[in-house]
Amino acid sequence: MATVEIDAKRTLTGRPPWMERPSRFGRGGKILGIVLISVVVVYPFLAVVATSLSSESDIAASGGLVILPSHPTFDAYRYVFSGGIVSRALWISFAVTVAGTALSMAATIGMAYGLSRRGVVGGRFFLATALFTMLFTPGVIPMFLTVQKLGLYNTLASLVVPSLVSAFNLVVLRSFFMNLPAELLDAARIDGLGDWRTLTRVVLPLSKAVLAVVALFYAVSYWNAFFNALLYLNDTSKWPLALVLRGLVIGGEATSAANEGVVPQQAVQMAVVVVSVVPIAAVYPFLQRYFTKGVLTGAVKG
Amino acid sequence: MHTPQSLGRRGFLRGVGAAAALTAGGSTLAACGSGKAAAVNKAGNAAQVQLPAYTPLANGPKPDLPGTDAGVPAGFYSYPASPTAAFASPPLSGGKFSAMTPLFTAPPPARGSNPAWQAVEKKLGASVDITMVVGDDFDTKLSTLIAGGGLPDLIQYDGLAGIPTISNLPQFLDSQIADLTEIIGGDKVKDYPHLAAIPKVFWEQCTVAGRLYFIPIPRGISAGAGLFRQDLFAAAGVNSSKDIKNSDDFFTLLKELTNPGKDRYALAGNAGNGGYSGAIFEQIFGVPNKWRLDGGGKLTADIETDEFKAALEFMVKVAKAGCFYPGSQGWTKAKMEDAFQSGKAALIYDGLPALSTSVWATARKIDPNAKLLPFVPFGATGGPGVAWQDNVVFAGTMLKKADPAKLADVMKLADFLAAPFGTEEYLLKTYGVEGTDYTLDADHNPVQTAQGKNDANVTWKYIAAPQLVTYNPGVDDLTDAVHQAYTELVPIALKDPTATLYSPTYSKQGVALYKAVSDTVTQVIGGQSGISAFDDALKTWRSNGGDQIRSEFEQAYASAPKS
Repeated sequence: MATVEIDAKRTLTGRPPWMERPSRFGRGGKILGIVLISVVVVYPFLAVVATSLSSESDIAASGGLVILPSHPTFDAYRYVFSGGIVSRALWISFAVTVAGTALSMAATIGMAYGLSRRGVVGGRFFLATALFTMLFTPGVIPMFLTVQKLGLYNTLASLVVPSLVSAFNLVVLRSFFMNLPAELLDAARIDGLGDWRTLTRVVLPLSKAVLAVVALFYAVSYWNAFFNALLYLNDTSKWPLALVLRGLVIGGEATSAANEGVVPQQAVQMAVVVVSVVPIAAVYPFLQRYFTKGVLTGAVKG
Repeated sequence: MHTPQSLGRRGFLRGVGAAAALTAGGSTLAACGSGKAAAVNKAGNAAQVQLPAYTPLANGPKPDLPGTDAGVPAGFYSYPASPTAAFASPPLSGGKFSAMTPLFTAPPPARGSNPAWQAVEKKLGASVDITMVVGDDFDTKLSTLIAGGGLPDLIQYDGLAGIPTISNLPQFLDSQIADLTEIIGGDKVKDYPHLAAIPKVFWEQCTVAGRLYFIPIPRGISAGAGLFRQDLFAAAGVNSSKDIKNSDDFFTLLKELTNPGKDRYALAGNAGNGGYSGAIFEQIFGVPNKWRLDGGGKLTADIETDEFKAALEFMVKVAKAGCFYPGSQGWTKAKMEDAFQSGKAALIYDGLPALSTSVWATARKIDPNAKLLPFVPFGATGGPGVAWQDNVVFAGTMLKKADPAKLADVMKLADFLAAPFGTEEYLLKTYGVEGTDYTLDADHNPVQTAQGKNDANVTWKYIAAPQLVTYNPGVDDLTDAVHQAYTELVPIALKDPTATLYSPTYSKQGVALYKAVSDTVTQVIGGQSGISAFDDALKTWRSNGGDQIRSEFEQAYASAPKS
């Protein structure tokens, strides 16, 4: 009986089974598993980067999927940054993401804190109003009309204002604030802190993890958003990167389906993908340590 | 399968997208009809409309290969040495115009930093604000603008001769869009000589409910029946499609071309064309262009014909023989083109405009003997095949209603943009400013600079355009072959008898109904379903709306005066 023998061995060391050295077979299996998963994750990234560094004939010769460029070239990147379109779009996306995230955080924190306190006049009504938008999203045309009437049409503000507060993020923050010990807040009040200073001195420093996660949610959604830009911006010089990318990748595909024959170079498409992924991917490692904790807050205490 | 495939990925997406966007805006649109709904819903067709009188330009550039009034594009080996000026002075004196077009490239630099844009406006004498919308999203934005207000002066409409992309189209046109019959019908078009030089065949596509509403953006009448690798065909003993006598011959050839050991297959498809490039086979088997009209005014849908069934059975046989590149049914179009350029596929369904100098150059870098040519359909049972008039226009441009003086100015703008190949204006709007955006090579052909590749992305050609030309600088063989293909295809290209007729049911349900049939066809060819599944799908198509669409089109045809 193999199991019994193993168990007998383990008892000899006096350690519980999960602290035992894994068997060679188990270890090899784990390594293989991790390598396979890594390959599945890394492969598409590698293909995108390699394609962006290849010439058009190399891409065609390899059937559209390059893993190791045989004649590496930065032509695609040179083209992407030559006209100023992508670099401009990159700045716009950057500005919209930074400003939008800051404004959204300010609005969401304020609203969540207010709604987390008991006895706020109209609290239930405002909470219900926010939750209503989560269940029933407005149609494209009512949103368009609202943006137009507010005078935001064809302005960068139209990328931020309509999506300033996300009901989901509001609920996550509010739940977190509500679960802070009431005694702590009472103590702050007894020590003479008003609402504003209680929020900034006590509540926010205790909520770093959830704030980091919510900020990341906002940042990613601002960075990736193209639909608002598509509807509300006429001027191509105001386009964010996501829309430029969509134009190059989806627009090119659509054209060829309509027999227009203007397929943009795949290297260029992939170069824009790289340019758009790198900045937001670079933010993740810094926020990673907050991530698990923050997501858990929303997951079990909503 | 023709109807669903010619719809293509873009057609399908735009149909769905527009339908989705209009869910909210439909009621607004319906209200636009201002009580005239019943009157305008009476379908008409091009025959009763006074179309612009065709007047060729007297002093136009001389092509190397002549075009025809029936729509064969003229061929040019190089850009004319001394381009003529279409306008001695700017046609407009000030003013601001707005337009909306799709965009299929990276967006161009804004006017302020785009010398090409500024130069066009200077030559035109007015400024033009263009709202450029990423191709796939065009109909969503258009639907939003229609419902929300704020339509520009010139708006592209891409639902011509297909599924209408604006719901309640006749009512919308009646209430918001200028009737061009009043402005350019008959000889009135002579005020706009470049628009007058567009042959009638293109204007015929631009009518709805008996009125002329659109300025055509002409294409080459037929998109062809695919492209083939002449070098690979020749190695299998076939120099052109003329050497193929019938479908048995073709089947033998396809098997000959397939060599999995060398990673080479006769055919490759892509997800957008139903996966199996059905259009090639349907044209070979003589399937009609969407509908067949008999002498008594009765319509038969393409999918109902014996020819379609025969083409389908043949495709099942070809798929079973392993002639399609495995997995290519899920490919993107770009991937299919890669396989073709690298010689992994010998025959693909792609439009003639997809052949260009740069495509040839890419293929030749991989294989110096590569020869990419248009495939002209042969007849499956001997004799000639058929082609379809499936690429007569790229789209049409409609003009927002305005006072006559403003409309006259907008027409001048369109006329300016329709200046033909060989003029200074064409060079400017297509390539930008000489020196900055392009330089001329020894044969006077413009070669774009890095800046030019961005500057020239302004979408002038999607507002208004002259008749298409075949121009592949540096590859005369290709220009010859494409011109020859058009010369053969245009005379055998079948009209879609419903192209300018309006059916409300087709407008609302056409996409979904055909999608169900095309999905079944893909499954049948792929071997997941038997041929009886197709018969069932056809029955469902009929009962769910196909018969209704037919009777609406037949009624529309009957009520339209015949020429």
